[in-house]
Formats: sequence, structure tokens, C-alpha cells
Amino acid sequence: MATLNVTPNAGSFRVVHPLDDVQEAKCSSVGLGRIKMTRAVRVSLGVLRGYLVFMTLMLAYHVCDLAGLFTRLK
Amino acid sequence: MTALETTTTPAAAQHGVVVRKSWQRHVLTFLMVAGPGLIVMEADNDAGAVSTYMQAGGQYGLHLLWLLVILLPICYFVQEMVARLGIATGKGHAAMIYERFGKWWGHFSLIDLLAVNFLTLITEFAAISLALSAFGISPYLSVPISAVALTMMVVTGSYLRWERIVIGLCLLDLLWFVLAWRVHPHWAAVAHHAVIPTVPAGGITGSLVFLVIAVIGTTIAPWQLFFQQSCVAEKRLRFADLKWARLDTLIGAIFTTLVAGAMMLLGNYGYEHHVSFQDPAQMAIAIAPFAGAFVRNSLLLLMVNAAVLGTTAISLASAWAYGEVKGWEHSLHKKLWEAPGFYATYIGCVGAAAAIVLIPHVPLQLVIISVQVFAGLILPSAIIFLQLLLNDRELLGDQWVNKRWNNIINWTIIIVLFALSLLLAVQVLLPNIFPN
Repeated sequence: MATLNVTPNAGSFRVVHPLDDVQEAKCSSVGLGRIKMTRAVRVSLGVLRGYLVFMTLMLAYHVCDLAGLFTRLK
Repeated sequence: MTALETTTTPAAAQHGVVVRKSWQRHVLTFLMVAGPGLIVMEADNDAGAVSTYMQAGGQYGLHLLWLLVILLPICYFVQEMVARLGIATGKGHAAMIYERFGKWWGHFSLIDLLAVNFLTLITEFAAISLALSAFGISPYLSVPISAVALTMMVVTGSYLRWERIVIGLCLLDLLWFVLAWRVHPHWAAVAHHAVIPTVPAGGITGSLVFLVIAVIGTTIAPWQLFFQQSCVAEKRLRFADLKWARLDTLIGAIFTTLVAGAMMLLGNYGYEHHVSFQDPAQMAIAIAPFAGAFVRNSLLLLMVNAAVLGTTAISLASAWAYGEVKGWEHSLHKKLWEAPGFYATYIGCVGAAAAIVLIPHVPLQLVIISVQVFAGLILPSAIIFLQLLLNDRELLGDQWVNKRWNNIINWTIIIVLFALSLLLAVQVLLPNIFPN
């Protein structure tokens, strides 16, 4: 780390603010494309989709209820 | 991923501070790295949180204090993952979802985040309006001035200037401890309720369950995931800064939990004096005859401070996320004209929320319910993406991915949050399903 490694004199340390330091090469997603569909990813996204569908249906039910649709149907 | 060591260039060597002692180096490095963790945690104690924690104290006394103690490590574990991902990739959460999960999930997360953030901003300005009205300041004056001040904070073209101002505002929250001390709680009872869960008189009712979920939902908010990762990327934290970023996050989590506890103690003061209230401003006025003008005025000002902190962090979370996905310049280091889309998003969010609050008879209850519904959609999805990204070896390599124990803890947190979000949504959308 540049912050700690720069030693102007033996026994002293130069502490550099992250914004003033040399930019590091980060973990890049360039060229990787989409995440690998492992079992964990597939199951997680499937559960998430199910959850969102359920929430949307519940919201639609609530909106219809507020609009008095069910009362009128009865 | 191998970018662990950096070479020192003459440019970097010209900057910085030379110290002689090892401990000075550690302290100084921490002070330089700290900020995102403290800000994200303390900004989470926004106007909605003040209201929720005080309501918890006001309705159930000290009975829900233990919940905060449990939430502290959960908060830390979630935000630590965010900081790690931000440092490892140098990119925000929205950008990572977009790149690794595709456009559909990217747009879904972004739109949901923007919606919940915008609705939350309306509640922040409503709180500013309420608190300053108690001082006799008209909302037509207080709300536009706050919106302009919030805009001025970010358009200076300096991340550090913004960060210093916001850390100053965070430290103002120390005043909550003074207020908690001024209302003389029974400290032995506080310690007891902080470690031993107890059921309030009346048993487990629908409103108790609702409040428990609201406290959890307030403590872990979806915008926090997006905000801290973007903030870490904005500050260009380095791989070796991770341990300091973790410490920053831990200190932030402890501080924010203690502040939340102080809010509950103030709510408890109202409970002990049989004061009923709908919002903290009402409570501040109601307890003034017993607690004094200092407590009343401080409480109102802290409510404004909470709303200001929440507004700047939430608006920035939206602006960073939108800028990342759109591929715009999205940095506080840029001048207004260098990142017009980014600043327009921030100013647009702040300005529109402020304007809506000034509309007479705005249906705030509908806004609050919508916040809870949208948050119920975005929190589980954002946290799932976070967990999957932190297991993405292709992206992060072996060093930065979650360890096995990380995954056990995090999946447990995710399952609990999923269940609670579902429960909250069911209760909000189908209010008659639970007995009261």
C-alpha cells in the first residue's frame, strides 16, 4: 500500500490520503459478462422472482380492495 | 485479483504527511480513510428513524432496547460486505448489479431504489417542516432554505468538503446522549432491557410486531447498501484500507446504535409521563413542561439534523446509482458543469421532494406506506445481489470473496430480512390479517 510503503527516511512513514494516492488496479468486470449461473445463483434469483411476483399480486389485491372492486363483485 | 501492492510514484510521494511512530501512522491512516462507514450508519438515523425509535420508546418503554443490541452486528456484517465490494471493485452497487446480472435486474434495482429514496426524501422534508414550524418558522421558508443548503453542500466540487460537513453533522448527534442523560432514565432498567428481551404488558400484538419490523427496517435500509459502496469508490479507498474501513463501519454501527438507544430513552420519558404523540415534534412540545426548554429545543433541532443527514445521503445514493448505470460522470470531485446529469439527479430529487411537501394536504400517510412497500421490494433483492457478488470468484478472486463463516451469517441475515420484509408488506397491504 502506497500509504505505508513510502518511507522518506528510515524509521519514518509517509501517510498519503486515498484521494492523493496512485490509483490501484481494481477487480474488473470488463470482458466477464454476466455472472456464472451456479446452483446458488439460480436458486437465489428464482426465490427473488417468486418473492417479487407474490408482492406484486398482493399489491394488486390491495389496490383492487381499496378501489372497492371486491365489494362491488359481492 | 492481484492488485495488492502499488508502486510509489513521485506524484504520490509529494503528498501526504510524514510521521515517526507506528501508532501515529495507524491513527492518521484511519482518520484519512474514515468517513463512509460513520456517515452511512449515522445518516440511517434519519427523520423516519427518529420517529420510529421514539415511537418504540413511547409505546413500549424500554422493552424494545434489546432489539438494537441484536441489530448492531447485523448492521455491521451487511455494511462490511458493502465496503469490501466497493474497495475490491472501485464501483458502486448499482453498476455491479447492472454488469453482472444484466439490464433487467439492473433497471429493476435502480427504479425501485430511486422510487423508495424519493418517497423517503418527502418524509425528510416533512420532518424539517414540522420541527421548524414548532419554532414558528413557516414551511414556505424552512423547506426551500433547507433544499438550497443541501444543494450547496454538494456542488462545491470537493468530496472531502462534503464529507467534513457531514461528519460534523453526524457528531452533532452526540447531543442525543446529553438529552438521554437529562431525562434521568433508570439506568439499571436500561441495562436490563438492553440484554434481556421482555414482552410488554398486553402481550404480542399486531402493533408490537409492526413496530419490531419497523425498527429492523429502519436500522437496515436499502439505500445504505448503494450509498456506502459508491462512497467507498468515490473516496478511492485502497485494498490495504479495508481494515480501517471495517473499523470505520464498526464505530459507525456502535455510534448509531447508541444514538438510536438514546432516542428510545427519550420516547420512554414520554411513555413514563403518559404523553401520547404522533411524531417527535409533537412529543418535544408535549414533554417541555417536565423536561424543560433545552430538551424541547434540542430535540427539534436534532430532528432537523437527522432529516438533513438523511436527505444528503439518500439523494447522493440515488445520484451515484443513476450516474453509474447511465455511464455519466458521477463524482463529487467534479464541478457542476463537468457532471451535469449527476448533479441534476441530486438537485432534482431534493427540489422535487421539497416542493411536494409544500403542497397543502399532501397525503403523507400514503407516502409512508409506499416507502414501506418499495423498501420491502428493494431490500431483499439488493442484499441478495450483494451476497451473490461477494461469492463471485470470477470477479473478486479468492481473496475478497466471502469466507464460509461469512456466508453462514449472511444467508441467515438474508432469510430473516426476507421473512420480515414479507411480513411487513403483508401487514401494510393487508392490515386486517393480524389481530390488534
